[in-house]
Amino acid sequence: MSNPAGAYMARPRPNLMSGGSAAPKLPAPAFPGHDLPIAPRIEIVPTRSQKRARPKIAYAAVVVTGVLAIVVTQLMLSIGLSDGAYEISSLQQTQKELDRSNQVLSEQFDKLSSPQNLAASAESLGMVANSAPVYLRLSDGAVLGSPVAASASAPTLTGGQTLIPNSLLVAPSVTAATGTPAAAGTGTGTGAATGTGTGTATATGTAAAGATPDAASAPPAAQPQADVPWQGALPSPTTR
Amino acid sequence: MAVVAVVAVFVVRLVTIQIVQADTLNAASFDKLSASTSIYGLRGDIVDADGTVLATTVLRYGVTASPKSVTDFTRTAADGTTSTVTPTQAAAEIAAITGQTADQVYGTLTADPTSNFAYVVKDIDVDAFRAIRDLGIPWLYYESNPVRTYPNGAVAGSVVGFMGEDGEGKPTGSAGVEQIDNQCLVGTDGLETYERGADGVAIPGSTVTTTQAVDGGTAVLTLDSDLQWFSQQALVDRIKETGAAWGTVVVQEVKTGKLLAVADYPSVDPNNIDGTPSTDRGSIAFQAPFEPGSTFKALTAASVLDAGLANVGTQVEAPYIYTDPNGASTRDSEFHVDPLRLTFAGVMQESSNTGTAMLGELLTPEQRYNYMQAFHIGSSSEVGFPGESGGILSPWDQWDDQTNLTTTFGQGVATTAVQMASVYQALGNGGVRLPVQLVEGCRQPDGTMTQVPDATGTQVVSPSAATDTINMLETVVTGGYAKADLQIPGYRVAAKTGTAQMSDGNGAYGSSYVTSLAGLAPAEDPQYVVSVTIAKPVTIESALAAAPVFQKIMSQVLKEKRVLPSTEPGPDLPTTY
Repeated sequence: MSNPAGAYMARPRPNLMSGGSAAPKLPAPAFPGHDLPIAPRIEIVPTRSQKRARPKIAYAAVVVTGVLAIVVTQLMLSIGLSDGAYEISSLQQTQKELDRSNQVLSEQFDKLSSPQNLAASAESLGMVANSAPVYLRLSDGAVLGSPVAASASAPTLTGGQTLIPNSLLVAPSVTAATGTPAAAGTGTGTGAATGTGTGTATATGTAAAGATPDAASAPPAAQPQADVPWQGALPSPTTR
Repeated sequence: MAVVAVVAVFVVRLVTIQIVQADTLNAASFDKLSASTSIYGLRGDIVDADGTVLATTVLRYGVTASPKSVTDFTRTAADGTTSTVTPTQAAAEIAAITGQTADQVYGTLTADPTSNFAYVVKDIDVDAFRAIRDLGIPWLYYESNPVRTYPNGAVAGSVVGFMGEDGEGKPTGSAGVEQIDNQCLVGTDGLETYERGADGVAIPGSTVTTTQAVDGGTAVLTLDSDLQWFSQQALVDRIKETGAAWGTVVVQEVKTGKLLAVADYPSVDPNNIDGTPSTDRGSIAFQAPFEPGSTFKALTAASVLDAGLANVGTQVEAPYIYTDPNGASTRDSEFHVDPLRLTFAGVMQESSNTGTAMLGELLTPEQRYNYMQAFHIGSSSEVGFPGESGGILSPWDQWDDQTNLTTTFGQGVATTAVQMASVYQALGNGGVRLPVQLVEGCRQPDGTMTQVPDATGTQVVSPSAATDTINMLETVVTGGYAKADLQIPGYRVAAKTGTAQMSDGNGAYGSSYVTSLAGLAPAEDPQYVVSVTIAKPVTIESALAAAPVFQKIMSQVLKEKRVLPSTEPGPDLPTTY
């Protein structure tokens, strides 16, 4: 028995010097310093296998910690997942709202870019159609056709009549917007402005109308000067 | 003993719940937990060749209420103060947004206090929906549903068509391209099922998409919406000016057969179908055949030239009244004592009926009939427009003597405006007639193009016959009676006038006319056909009613398509001798 505890275990001390003849030399078992002899304590010594089968506290600790860790992890995971669910839900809500905004804006865009609206707007700005188109051929710089500036009294595209109905257009926005400032002579567009494009267009219209109130609004086109030589290479479209 | 009995009871119950009733109970719990949302497979857009949206689908919102639970509710303002809102106040707030009266809304809410459902308002737009939602009324519910909108209104309205309902009350295309391409456009709704908690949030991991929603494809048209608008505007303007009854404009690309504009008057704004009488909602250009009159002479001329029976210089003495060997007779529109000494080109320029009849009858009726068929007269175009007419052409062996004669100059035979444009397309394209195209195809969400129509052409007349015909038609613009209204500075134009008598509907000719103009430019290498038809003009009863529209639209086409001005003078064929 290597266990030093064994030292306290009372048991007949084996005769280490079993020489037979030496026995009588030994004193009777007695504890020096003690007057009274102590009764020997007796205990059952577990067998080797019994000792092995006994659970150890370290193991228990590991298991308990493990279980706790798993529980906590799972809890965190659940919290994370449901957090995610709420986040998804709120993002989906945001997406829905953005989709709606997108729809509103594209509807408005399509409506405003309809030819009826564009033509009415162009006319309200005093734009006229030039019936003499002229082409510049990029390959050799040739001017094809004879350039003639349109006069302010040239007929407009629609003659001011919207003959092609579009029930989505309640009122052509630019027309509505220009009316006020042109009459009042102020520089701010305060009509039924419905977008950036409208705002810009309004400002232009006002300026034109303010400058030449009677000669309508076509700004005099620059007279073409045929005798100005072209310097350098002509711009030419490139493709890759 | 008692313990065993209790355990047995429990076991039996356990088995019943876990095994016997498992499916039923599961299903019941799933019903409680699960929610399913239908995901809309949106109907596809209809766009023009540039991608301008002509028809699209947007979501509109319906507001419903549960009258049972309509009560006062407490509203917390942004600054934290609370106020009580009565149903009357709520009704007034809703009405201010929807444009109804407060009484109307309140009436809806209280009509049947035991009901759990009532429509407050249907089909409101996003802004109104958001405004109502922000009122925070607890007993209101919202639903969305897709509706069709046409941002350009009546621009190409008669061609784009509109929606109606099928036999089961589901929306389906019921006119125009909406109908032709319904298969392409229609989307398939999906269904998404998931389990949700008490607050309506999906339980993680439970989303099961049962059916995937499939958006519809995009129908891509060959039309050019700007040109379309311009054509409609010019047409309507002229119709109002001349007091005409109806009219059409067809613009076609010569080298491809694609229609760039199909204008009709009267026409429909698909956003507001009820604003147009039901008889005026179709496309006249596709659906209404009429006797074309003199514009048809180009077909006769090309046939005679192709058969080699005459050439551009063939000389004809065209009398005022001509009676053919069968006894049928016709006269020129203008009285003249002496016969006109005209070349074939001169016959075209003068639009002489007698001269055309004499030259046309060089061909047998059967030959002329075959040429007409080759030009697709009598059979509808490849577009397959709903209710499209193929014109009226009776078989040659059923022609009476008069019909035999008049079919040379476009009476006794009826065509649609699209068919006439197609005839000129073939002449401009070296005698090769291309299938008429309105739809380029169906663009799938993944970008591939399906249902692309066949574009194989057929040689109808020889290239030289076609070119000669164009050259003869050029004399109409350089010297015909409508020349002042037809010429376009810088360009060579070939065109033919037409002033056809209209049938009175009882087998005789009435007193009204269909005036028309069909032509090509530039004449040396035709790129575009413009065909204008104006019926029953009051102030001008000749092709002069249609000519300015032709000139205006052709100028716009040439400008918009950047066609370079002609550089060489025309052949200037002799017209008299």
